Order: sequence, then structure tokens, then C-alpha cells
Amino acid sequence: MAEALLSSMAKSDAVDIREKVLRRFEVGDSAFHTITMSCAITVLLLLGGVIFSLVYGASPALRQFGFGFLTSHAWNPVTENFGALAAIYGTLVTSIIALLIAVPIGLGIAVFLTELCPYSLRRPIGIAVELLAGIPSIIYGIWGMFILAPFLQAHVEPAVIATFHNIPGLSQVFAGPPYGIGIATAGLILAIMILPLISSISRDVFNSVPPVLKEAAFGIGCTRWEVVRRIVAPYTGVGLVGGIMLALGRALGETMAVTFVIGNAHKIAPSILGPGTTISATIANEFTEADGALYTSSLIALGLLLFVITFIVLAISRLLLMRVEQQGAR
Amino acid sequence: MTNAMTETSAQARETLPAKMSVKNLDFFYGDNRALKSINLQLPVNQVTALIGPSGCGKSTLLRVLNRMYDLYPGQRAVGEVLLDGDNILAPGRDVNALRSRVGMVFQKPTPFPMSIYENIAFGVRLYEKLGKAEMDERVERALRGAAIWEEVKDKLQASGLSLSGGQQQRLCIARTVAIQPEVILFDEPCSALDPISTAKVEELIDELRQEYTIAIVTHNMQQAVRVSEYTGFMYLGELIEYGLTDQVFTSPREKRTQDYITGRFG
Amino acid sequence: MASLQASRQLRSVIAMALCWVSAGLGLTALALILGALLWNGFTSLAPAVFTQMTPPPGAAGGLLNAIFGSLVMTFFGVLIGAPLGMLAGTYMAEYGRGSKLTMVVRFINDILLSAPSIVIGLFVYEIAVVPMGHFSAFAGSIALALLVVPVVVRTTEDMLNLVPSTLREAASALGLPRSLVIRHVAYKAARAGLITGLLLAVARVSGETAPLLFTALNNQFWSSNFNAPMASLPVVIFQFALSPYKEWQQLAWVGALIITMAVLALSITARIIGAQRTTK
Repeated sequence: MAEALLSSMAKSDAVDIREKVLRRFEVGDSAFHTITMSCAITVLLLLGGVIFSLVYGASPALRQFGFGFLTSHAWNPVTENFGALAAIYGTLVTSIIALLIAVPIGLGIAVFLTELCPYSLRRPIGIAVELLAGIPSIIYGIWGMFILAPFLQAHVEPAVIATFHNIPGLSQVFAGPPYGIGIATAGLILAIMILPLISSISRDVFNSVPPVLKEAAFGIGCTRWEVVRRIVAPYTGVGLVGGIMLALGRALGETMAVTFVIGNAHKIAPSILGPGTTISATIANEFTEADGALYTSSLIALGLLLFVITFIVLAISRLLLMRVEQQGAR
Repeated sequence: MTNAMTETSAQARETLPAKMSVKNLDFFYGDNRALKSINLQLPVNQVTALIGPSGCGKSTLLRVLNRMYDLYPGQRAVGEVLLDGDNILAPGRDVNALRSRVGMVFQKPTPFPMSIYENIAFGVRLYEKLGKAEMDERVERALRGAAIWEEVKDKLQASGLSLSGGQQQRLCIARTVAIQPEVILFDEPCSALDPISTAKVEELIDELRQEYTIAIVTHNMQQAVRVSEYTGFMYLGELIEYGLTDQVFTSPREKRTQDYITGRFG
Repeated sequence: MASLQASRQLRSVIAMALCWVSAGLGLTALALILGALLWNGFTSLAPAVFTQMTPPPGAAGGLLNAIFGSLVMTFFGVLIGAPLGMLAGTYMAEYGRGSKLTMVVRFINDILLSAPSIVIGLFVYEIAVVPMGHFSAFAGSIALALLVVPVVVRTTEDMLNLVPSTLREAASALGLPRSLVIRHVAYKAARAGLITGLLLAVARVSGETAPLLFTALNNQFWSSNFNAPMASLPVVIFQFALSPYKEWQQLAWVGALIITMAVLALSITARIIGAQRTTK
């Protein structure tokens, strides 16, 4: 009888302990749940915070200049007259030049890696291209300034200027003097920077084409180029555009690679061989020396502008790439 | 239907010329010898079936006939494959031209990412420059030839991917037929299809036989009986037996053939 | 018809040749950049680089304070950003899989991942430098942390999503509560991938210049004061490279070499660990 009592006490002890543990589990569980969810929401708050603080910081300038901020290319710290047009122009033109160069070469590399490269070399070359992506942008900047720009100035730009000298229209686009640095050089550096991004996304997208589809095309006698152009490219179209837009987003926001070689001149000129500026280069070069609230605020306004532009481009890219992922899952 | 023949017509068939002949063919995946000394004929305007258990090499053999293996390094064929007396394995042969004469229909329907009309026209345009009216006629003829015209004639601009599986496969057959090959290779064309679509495709193969030489790989023995005049049984990379379908299935010469057909292994 | 065939073949040959050329161009660019880096960096590499501070213009010196500053701020940036990112990624993969919140967070996170880092610098300027009244290493660390978060969120979510659900079910069947299933089972299973993500985040952040430009600013002297400006390799490189002084430019190359080697080492390590995961 005593044993029964003892054992029932032991049992209820065990039940007690188990209840305590289970309650602890419950509390721990809901705590963990809450913590992780808060962290996830923090990501959203981060975005909100960035937008809010940029708008807050930019509002003095925006209030002062209004919409004219976007259309004026004045940039005078002395008279405190600021306009974003030169920076916007430089940002867009360098990015477009970068895309014009990097997209064909990047797609070419992707086709090479998926169709032409000997199998044993595919991984090493793929890794080499990705290493190019991992190099910090400041390295591109100093390489551009110390190596590429002098080379272009001495050998390439004089030849280009001479070639287009007599062609109406183009002679203004490629007008001298050969600085070495400038919008074209910045575009070229950006092209090298976004090249690995385009080629690795394109390669992944090309690899998602079912082999049997390509075989069917070969089976009716298509040449390799016809298979790539008429079958692989349309099949992967959305993904390719998404990748290109992602590269564009990166190019638009790139700071260090561009700052060293753009020349930092707030002007809009027809020649792409001349100096210019981009939004990010302007901010990087002038922010720490900006005195005066309006100057600082104008720079932040530039930052807001850049953020809005890249946000839109990156959002479009994300939507396109999401569609590709869904297609793949089906 | 055609498999119920008399002895005399059987003998007549035996002397039919061969559209393609395989002579002492070896095939290697790297160092692995997947096909061993294959000797086989594809008689003209006949259907030859290749049967055998998984991994016996029947698809490998089929893919030698249009040199599809060329796309993959490390795979090579040694021996002779004659198309109308010409060895297609000889170095320097134009592979694209070969594939315009020897077409292939795959296991999985593979419509190109284009409209139904374009799927057909694309292949034709590779080889001929046709005006719109001529192309329209070619497309219609190809789709009729694949017994799918009635089902798609009102939606030629719709995407090829909008068709059902069976329709897609018939579209692929139409596409192959449109470039007017001489030989058509079918690699398990019905294994991804439902029974009704399968029946339609088999009917189609029977009709196509009148204009083309056909080889079909199938793991479905009843299909081989229904569709083919000649059958080759393969096992572990070797051609164990080859002859008239009737004879292979009713009185096989080899014991292994007998065992496979009766389901002793498979 | 034969001429049609011939022109098709020709077009294909030309197109494929251009693809070979593209690959060659890409590899050439890599070789030129790495080559210049190694050449200019190694010729100026000396023990003094690691023992002396950044010099005034025209004098010789080292990069010790800059290296220290980079290490310290990166460390604290990762210390703050990685747990935040990992917990957020955990929520997305474990609790909120498929929920609307997760989809929105993933979308926003991917945008933050590729957003211009200079904008992050401006943000931290507003929230840390302005209220404090001065530049500081603290602000710099915050800026780096904000760059670490999106990388870690993405890799954590991806890696945890790869853990098979049967593993989690087996743990739950033993009576383990959700949070312990995650911490003891899911994390362990995804460990290699999570470490890879961490290394990639560090690699990415190590080379960032723009966000440090107006948060931690720069410091010519040794400083371990978090409440004051601190030197960092990227900012020093920025300053020295743009200057007209030969010694400074040489130090800029050495600094660039150090950063690149560190980033490459981290990337390669991350790759090796990641490969081990897949072969297990």
C-alpha cells in the first residue's frame, strides 16, 4: 500500500516534471516564433527606414528647387544652386554603354559555357568568371584609373577620334581631346563589372532548357546557332531579360568603379570621351566636404533619386526572375 | 493487319532493298562498350521495331542512325552505317544534311516555343525558301499527314505548348514529316501518352510506312507486333535476333528471345 | 538548296566563333586586372605595411590602422547583422513558408541585396552620424551590418529550405517543440550552407567603400575608439589612390591586393565548404 502510494507520488512527480517541461517548451516556442518574425519584419522596416530618412534628408533641397531639381544641370555650391540633370545623364549614359558592351559578351560567354566549352573546362572557366564578380569595385576603380585610362588615352582614344573625325554626327559623339578618363571609360569599366553577373545568370537560365528540346531541334537538322537563337533564347527569354535588368540595377548604383574614372565634371556634353559625373560619384566625392544644409540636402536628394530608379529596375528584374523560377518548378 | 501475310509475300519482303544498313557497329560511352558488333537492316518502306529490356542499347542504336550522339563528347561509334549505300559515319559527312534525311521523334513531346504554324514552318524554312501560299500548303499537308489538321486548323497561331500531350506528339511528327525526310526514327514515341493517343500514333506510323522507312524503339511488345514488319531483339548491347516480326514472336530462333517474349525476364 | 545549307553553316560557325571570342575577352579582362593587382601590389609589399600606420603625404608607412579598422568594423558588422539575418531567414523558411509576409520580405530583401551601397551609407549617416554629431566606427559597423543582413537572409532561407521535411518530421515525432527542431536539427543539417552564406557576406562587405565614406570616415592614426572616426582599407585606398603622392599610390595598390586576396580566400573557402555539403 505504501509502495503504491509512493509509486503514485513518483508518477505524479514525473507528470509534474513533464508538465513543467512542456510549458517551458511552449514559452520557448512562442518566444522564438516572435523573435524570428520580428527579425523578418525588421527587413521591411529597414526599407521603410531608408526611404523615410532619404526623403527627410532630401526635403529641404526638394522644397527649394522643386521639380526643377531634375531638369537643371547647374551645380554651384557657391550660389547654392543645384540640379541633378548632369548626374542623371551620366548615370544613364554610362549604364547604357555598359549594357551595350556587356550584354552581347555576357550572353556569348553563357552560350560558350553551355554549348561550346569542353566539359572538363566548364567548371574552371565558370569559376574564373565568377571570381571576376567577386572582385571589390574599388579594385576596378584603381585599375581603371591607373591602367585602363592611360592606355585608352595613349592608344585607343586618338584612333577613335581620328576615325570619326569626318563623319557628321558621330564626330561629336567621339570628339576629343583624349582625356583617358570620362564617360566612355566609366562605361567600359562598368561593363567589365556587370559582365560576370550577366553571364552567370544567363548560363543558369540556359542550363534550365530540357536537353530533349535541343535534341529535337538538332534532330531536324538545325545548326548550333539556329538552336541557340530560335529555341534556347525564346524559351529562356524572360529569365535573360530579368538577368539583364539586374545587371542594369547594379550598374546604375555602382560608385567606386566609376568615381575614379569619370572625371567628376558636372556637365552634359555630346562627346562620350569627355568627363562627366554620375549620381553615386557625385555623392561619394562631395558629401564629406559639403558645407551648408542645402548642399548636403541636395546630395541626399540625389541619393533618393538613385534609390528610386534602382528600386524600380530591381523590382522589375525580380518579378521577371520570379516568373522563371515558377516556370521551372512546374 | 499487314502482319497477317502469306508465305510468298513474306519471301518477297525478304528481298526488299535496305534503306539503311548497320555493319559491325560498336558504340562506346567513354570506355564502356555499349553496342557490340551490330548488324542490322532497315528495309525500305517497312517498319522495323527494336525491342529489349531496359539498358539493352536499343535507344543508343537508334541515336547512331541520325548521329545524335555527336552532340556529346566521349561518345563514339565504330563501324559502318549505310544510308542508300553511303557510310554516314565516315569523317567529313555533313551531319545537318543527314538529319534532314533521317528524322527523329522523341519519347517526350517537344514542341518548340512557337506557334503551331511556326513549329512546322521553322523546319521547312531551314531548307527551302517558300512563299506564303506555298508554306501554308506545306504546313497543312504536314499537319494532315500527322492526322492532326482537323484539330488545330482553327488555331494555327496558338502556342504549340497549348496542345494536349498526344496532340503535341503528333505535332512533333508533323514537324518531322514536313521537312520530307526519307527515314523516320521513333524513340518510344508513345510511352508518355494515354492509350487513345497511342492508338492514333500507331495508326499514323502505319500510314507513314507507305512513304518513309521507319524504325521504332519500343518496350511494349504488343506495340511491336501491331506496328512492325521486322523486329530486332537486343540484349546487353548485342542484337540477339532479327527477322520478320511474325517469325520472331511466334517461333524465335534464340532461347533468350523466347525468354524475353514470354516475360521470363524484362 | 546547297547554298542555303552553306550559308546556314557559315552563320553558325561565325556565331560560335564570336562566343569563343567573348569567353576569351572575359578571361583576358580577369587576367589583366588580377595581373596588374599582383604586379603593383606585390612590388610594394613589405613587412612595414603590416606594422606601421598610414603615413602623412610624401612619407613612407604602412596600413596597420586601416587593416585593424577594417577587421574590427567588419567583425562587428557581421556580429550585428548575421544573427538578425539568420533569424529572419529562419522565420521565412520555418514558420512562414509560403505565407504572404515571407513573399514580401523575400522580394524586398532581394532588392536591398542589389541596392546601391552608397544609399545605405546615406541612411546610416542620417540615423547614426547626425544624432551623434560626428563620424564614428560605430556608425561604420552599422552600415556594414545593414549590408550583411540581406545576404544572410537569402542564404539562410535557401539553405533551410533545402533541409528535407522528413528530417523535421522525425524530430517532431520525438516530441521536440518547433523551436528546438529548428535549432537542433535544421540548423545542424544546414550548417555547411549557413557557414558558406556567412563567408560570402563577409567577402562582400570587406570590399565595400561607399558606405564607410561618410559613416566611419577615416583616421590617419591608430584608433580603437568606437565613438570616433576609424580608418578602413577601402577608404584609405580611395584617398591614397586619388592623391598625387607616389608612396600613397603604392600603398593603395598594396591595400587593394590585401582586400582582393582576402575576398578570394573567403570565396574559395565558402565554395569548398559548400561542395562538401553536396558530396555528403
